[in-house]
Amino acid sequence: MAIGTFTRAFNNDWIGPGLVSLAAVAGISIAQPSFLSPFNIFVLLSAISVNMVIALGQLVIIAIGQMNLALGAFGGLVAITFVALMELYGVPPILAMAVGLGIGTVAGMASGYTIARSGISAFIITLAGLQIFKGINLGITEAQPFYGVPQTVRDFGNVTMIGPVPWLVVPMIMASVGMWYLLNRMRIGRYILAVGNNPHAAELSGINQRATITWAHGISGLLAAVGGMMLVAKLQIGQPTIGDDWLISSFAAPVIGGAVLSGGHVSVAGTFFGVVIIAIITQALVLFNIDPFLVQVVLGGLILWAVGINRWRELRVAKLQAESQ
Amino acid sequence: MSNALQVAHVSKSFPGVRALNDVSMTFHAGSVHALLGENGAGKSTVIKIVTGIYHQDEGEVTMEGKPVRFANPRQAAAGGLGVVHQERNLINRFSVGENIMLDRLGRHSLSSVDYTGIHGQAEKWLKLLELDVDPRTIVSRLSVAQMQLVEIGKALSLQSRVLLLDEPTASLTPNETTVLFRILRKLRDDGVAIGFVSHKLEEVFEICDRVTVLRDGQNACDSADLKQLKRADVVHMMIGRAERISRREPRQTPNTQPYIELKNYASADGHRNINLSVRPGEIVGLYGLVGAGRSELAKAMLGLAPQTGGQVLIKGRLVKVGSVAEALHEHGMGYVSEDRKQEGLILLHSVLANGGITVWRKLAAKLGILTDQAVISHVDPVLRRLELKTPSLYQTIGNLSGGNQQKVSVAKWIAAGVNFLIIDEPSVGIDIKTKAYLHDLIHELANQGTAILLITSDMPEMIDVADRIVVMDGFEIKGEVENDRNYERVSKGIIGFIHGREAA
Repeated sequence: MAIGTFTRAFNNDWIGPGLVSLAAVAGISIAQPSFLSPFNIFVLLSAISVNMVIALGQLVIIAIGQMNLALGAFGGLVAITFVALMELYGVPPILAMAVGLGIGTVAGMASGYTIARSGISAFIITLAGLQIFKGINLGITEAQPFYGVPQTVRDFGNVTMIGPVPWLVVPMIMASVGMWYLLNRMRIGRYILAVGNNPHAAELSGINQRATITWAHGISGLLAAVGGMMLVAKLQIGQPTIGDDWLISSFAAPVIGGAVLSGGHVSVAGTFFGVVIIAIITQALVLFNIDPFLVQVVLGGLILWAVGINRWRELRVAKLQAESQ
Repeated sequence: MSNALQVAHVSKSFPGVRALNDVSMTFHAGSVHALLGENGAGKSTVIKIVTGIYHQDEGEVTMEGKPVRFANPRQAAAGGLGVVHQERNLINRFSVGENIMLDRLGRHSLSSVDYTGIHGQAEKWLKLLELDVDPRTIVSRLSVAQMQLVEIGKALSLQSRVLLLDEPTASLTPNETTVLFRILRKLRDDGVAIGFVSHKLEEVFEICDRVTVLRDGQNACDSADLKQLKRADVVHMMIGRAERISRREPRQTPNTQPYIELKNYASADGHRNINLSVRPGEIVGLYGLVGAGRSELAKAMLGLAPQTGGQVLIKGRLVKVGSVAEALHEHGMGYVSEDRKQEGLILLHSVLANGGITVWRKLAAKLGILTDQAVISHVDPVLRRLELKTPSLYQTIGNLSGGNQQKVSVAKWIAAGVNFLIIDEPSVGIDIKTKAYLHDLIHELANQGTAILLITSDMPEMIDVADRIVVMDGFEIKGEVENDRNYERVSKGIIGFIHGREAA
């Protein structure tokens, strides 16, 4: 029984990354006490908050067994639209935010509907989407940043809430809890996972695949919009380059967190620790003055390690099942 | 008895093929109705028409007297027509209960899922099916038989009055089949109309009371009373002639040098002391129970598992086979896999691509480029010889019947001109007519000088086809029986070798 409990806990997706995160925090703070300084914690939590929202935007697409290459392009377009509305037309931040969320959702749903309707792979459709939305972004901005970010928005991205905890954690927590509830307790979330797990069986069970795929991409677009606007608040500037570097980490965090890329199985908590690990590694390499190029090498290695662990667990489960029958 | 489902004078054509021609059948409530026919006779087309995947060109489908024309299987399920397909259609990471109730998780997309309610409702159906599992169990932890019952439960939970089961016993053990049949009888007594598609006639006679036989897209009989029929009658209706019993003469094979010979061969898969030889023109049967290591030996010989001991001789020359490519191109060895769909064929590719895959290297090496014409000139004569039924060489092979697929998986090796062919379970999922035809083909290949190693668990097939039979058990060769086509003597000999292990 004790072994059973242990095995079950061990098989939870977030345990492994969670332990790695803890060990990394402990190890680094012993070697470099400034790691746990309030300022550093603030910086770390800000980065984690933004990256988690972005990772969740990819997670929901991984759940359905697809990928969204246009995630960063959505986020970038929403970010500059958000700032442009406030700077050029004096739109109040709340209203500009609502427009931004709308654009992200509609762009996502359009891409999802195209995928569902045409039957063309999400890879191709979102690759095209990436080009189109990035192109629109550059057309609007002429590759120049917008500087007119109102003070309230700047504050949201740079002021602490309690102790060293930034306000940015609020949207992150809302998105994480919401995503967990959606995937585990809501019809749409169960349908997304069902389609990702076995599209044929889902279809035969009366699940409307087109609607489900469209929904999933809509949610992904919404989260990309949230991520883009959080970055505007954090950077205090409407950079046209926002979103350019989202792709790798948006896949890396869910995969480190135990997501199956073929769909049907993802973990929100695991993804959180995936984001934490990536943030810690990035920070630590800076703290120890390690060449930033190495960050990419380490990140690549981490992805391989995570996928390897998942594969090993799969084989083990299969073996245990074969033995029990 | 009421007509739960009636198919009346239905016809359906596909480009170039008339799949169904004036087919009728009537399924009654409280009855188990067998739908029989060889592969390609039209059984699946009938199922696809009643469930709305296809639509008939002529004729009518009615349920309880009312005409129905479902747009898709979902609508059919909602209309009370449940189908349990041969392959499992469950979300294997979801719980049993959630799978049963999958289309009723909530009223709209953003509804929260009431798991207590769902598992409670699912429990009712599990009880009815005498399935003793917690509805919270994740489906992937169930056995195949349990998964099948879950699918039946799912169909029933939609108030299905008609339940169609496509080859439900294909992956079940005899015990599991007994349980399934007990439940089917119970459902029948509760007034469900059950349609039962199977290749196993024993089961049909055990569980069914009515039978419709299709042959070449037409009724060979329409909802006949099974009690009035004998097994031979049904077989006669299916293939249009009485079941053939082996009367092949034992073959004389020249006592020449073996094409391939294994001496004290051992493999990393666990084979030990394997001594086996096959001469050109000889058909050697390799018999053994499931798990005896037969297919594994075939794959090891092809270089898929490292050789750890002994010798392999090809035409008397010592060789080491390192890869399948080497086995084919340097040693002329071919392998017809038992798992046609996974290992034998590339289902999404055309007949031509599948038949020609083994000769590409040879043809391309000569010309530098590969033209369809070159491949066709090599492959087409072989396919013609095998009487392959396909609308064109460019047809996707996944759309052909099992028998025709098997012809292509044999054809590719004939086209490659192999000297030694391992044929593994050639007649799994193949109808009786194609089976007899494949047996003739194996003999013809041998008569032309190909050395053949035949692996099969089907004793009559073994005795009908092989020249001599080598018996394998526990990854070792236990002995050899000369095949004189005397069923009783040969089968006794084989069983003796397998059971000898326990005596020793």
